Amino acid sequence: MVSPRGDTIVSNVILWGTAVHIPDGFLSTPVWATLDVAALPAVGYMVRRAQRGFDDAKVPLLGVMGAFVFAAQMINFPVGIGTTAHLLGGALLAYTLGPAAACVTMASILAIQALVFQDGGILALGPNLINMAIAGVLAGYLPFYLWGAGRWRKAAIFAGGVLSALVSAVLALSELLLSGVRMPLPILGVSLTLFLAAALLEGAITVAVIGALEKIQPDFVRQPRLGRPFALGAAALAGLLLATVGVLLAAAAPDGIQKLGIQTGIASRAQALFSTPFTGYQAAFLAAGWQRKTLGGLAGLALVYAACLVFGRAVARKRSA
Amino acid sequence: MHHIVLDRWSRGSSAAHRLDPRAKIVPLLALLAALATARHGLPEFSAAVFVLLCAALLAARIPLFPALARAALVLPFAVVFAVVCWLAGDPARGLSLLLKSYLSALAVLTVVATTPLPALLRGIESLRVPLFLLTVAQFLYRYLFVISEEAQHMRKAAAARGTPTRPLASGGARFRAAAGALAVLFARSYGRAQNVHRAMLARGFTGRLHPLFDLHFRPADAAFAALASLAPLAARLALEKVP
Repeated sequence: MVSPRGDTIVSNVILWGTAVHIPDGFLSTPVWATLDVAALPAVGYMVRRAQRGFDDAKVPLLGVMGAFVFAAQMINFPVGIGTTAHLLGGALLAYTLGPAAACVTMASILAIQALVFQDGGILALGPNLINMAIAGVLAGYLPFYLWGAGRWRKAAIFAGGVLSALVSAVLALSELLLSGVRMPLPILGVSLTLFLAAALLEGAITVAVIGALEKIQPDFVRQPRLGRPFALGAAALAGLLLATVGVLLAAAAPDGIQKLGIQTGIASRAQALFSTPFTGYQAAFLAAGWQRKTLGGLAGLALVYAACLVFGRAVARKRSA
Repeated sequence: MHHIVLDRWSRGSSAAHRLDPRAKIVPLLALLAALATARHGLPEFSAAVFVLLCAALLAARIPLFPALARAALVLPFAVVFAVVCWLAGDPARGLSLLLKSYLSALAVLTVVATTPLPALLRGIESLRVPLFLLTVAQFLYRYLFVISEEAQHMRKAAAARGTPTRPLASGGARFRAAAGALAVLFARSYGRAQNVHRAMLARGFTGRLHPLFDLHFRPADAAFAALASLAPLAARLALEKVP
C-alpha cells in the first residue's frame, strides 16, 4: 500500500482495523477454498452487470477511479489525538459509479494490491474479494439505495460508509476465527472497538466527501428513486446486521453453536441426514494425516462448485427464457 | 515510490523473465496451495521452499536482499496475529502464520518481479478471468502513478499554503478541507478519465485493448511449468515421510 509518511503508530493500528487484507497462510483450506469458489461467480455476475448498457468509456473510467482510491490514501483526515484516517472508498465508489461498477473497481484494486503491493494473498483473494468488493460495497450501497433520496439522505450516506467498513472488517475477522486463529476475549473486544471506530470514521469521511463533491458538480452522485417502503428497508438492514453478527458469533464460538445443536436435538437429526463423509471436513474413509483434511476440503470444494454451477445454469436459463 | 523498483525488476532479460507468464502462474498456484495446506514438518518444508525461491531470484538476477525485504511488507500484519496466537497459548500456529504468509508473499513477488504486469495480466486472462476486469486493472496500474503524483502535488500545495503537515492540530475545518481536497481529486480523476477515453476513441479504440505482443507457450515453458509445479509437492512428500 502507498503508505503516507508522517503517520503515527496509532493511525497504523487504525489502518489495520479498517483495511484487513488477509495474506496467504492465514486461512484454513476449507475457508479459503470455499470463498474462492464463491467469489468466482459473484465477481463474474458483477462484471456482467457493470457491462450491461455498456459504453466503452467505462473501462478507462473505472481504472482511473481505482487509481483515485489508491491515491486517496495520501490525503489524511485529522481525527483528534494526533491520529489520522483515510478514505477506504467502497461506499463512495458505489454512490458515484453504481454498485456493480464499484464492485469491479474494488476487485481490480484488490488484485493490484495482492500482485504489486504484497497486500493480501493470492489464494486469499477470494475471501478478500467477498469481504471488500462484494459484501462491503453492497452493504454500503443498501442504505443509500433505500433512503438516499428523501430527507434522510445524509444519514443514509453516513450509514452506508459505516456499514461498508464494518461488514468487511467483521467478515474478515470471522474468517480468521473460523480458520482457527484463537483470539482471547479482551483482544477480540479491542479489535471490534477499533473496527467500530474506523467504520464510524469512514462514514464521516464519506459524508464530507460526498457533500464537497455535490458542491463541485451535483451529478457526480447518483440519485436513487424516492419512496422505498420503510418497513422493507428496515427489515433488509436488520437482516444484514443480524447475519453479520451471527457469522461472527458462529465463528467465535463454534463450540457454543454445537452445544446448542445438541441441546435442541438438531445435531443428532442433522447427523442422520447428512451422515458422515464430510463431518468436520474429514473424509472418514481415509488413513490419518494431511491427505484426509485436504481430500475432505477438495470434496467440499467440488460440492460447492457443483452447487454454483447448477445455480448459475438456472439463472442463465431463466434470463434467456 | 518503491513499487517502481518492482516494475524495473520485471523488465529484466534473464531466462526466468523470458518464460511464458502461464508457465509461472501455474507453479505459483501449486506452491501456494502446497504451503497453505502444509501441517506437519512445516519448518523443514518452509526451509526447502525458501531455498527454492532464493535460487529462482538469483537465477533471475534480481537483487536478493531487497527482494527479501520487500516480501517482509506482509510481516507487520502477520506478527500482530502471531503474537495474538502466542498469547492465546498456541505458539505453533503463530509460527506457521509467520512462515506461510512470508513465503507466500515471497513466491508472489518472485513471479511478479520476473513478469511485466501487462504480460502477467494476459497470462491470467487465458485462465478465463473476465477480460473487462483485467482491462480495468491494467488501466488502474497505468494511472496509479499519475493520480498518486497529483495527490502528492495537492499535499505539497496545501502545505505551502500553510496547512500543518503534522496531524497534531485537528478540527472540523481541517477535516472539511481534506474532504474538499479529496473531492477535487475525484473530479480531476473523473475528467482525466473522460479525456483519456476521447483520446483513445480518436485513435480507433473499439472497446478492446490490442496488445503489441503475443504469448508463446513453447515446450521449454511446459517443461518448466511441470517441473516447478511438482518440485514443492515432491519436497513436501519427501519431508513428511520422515518421521
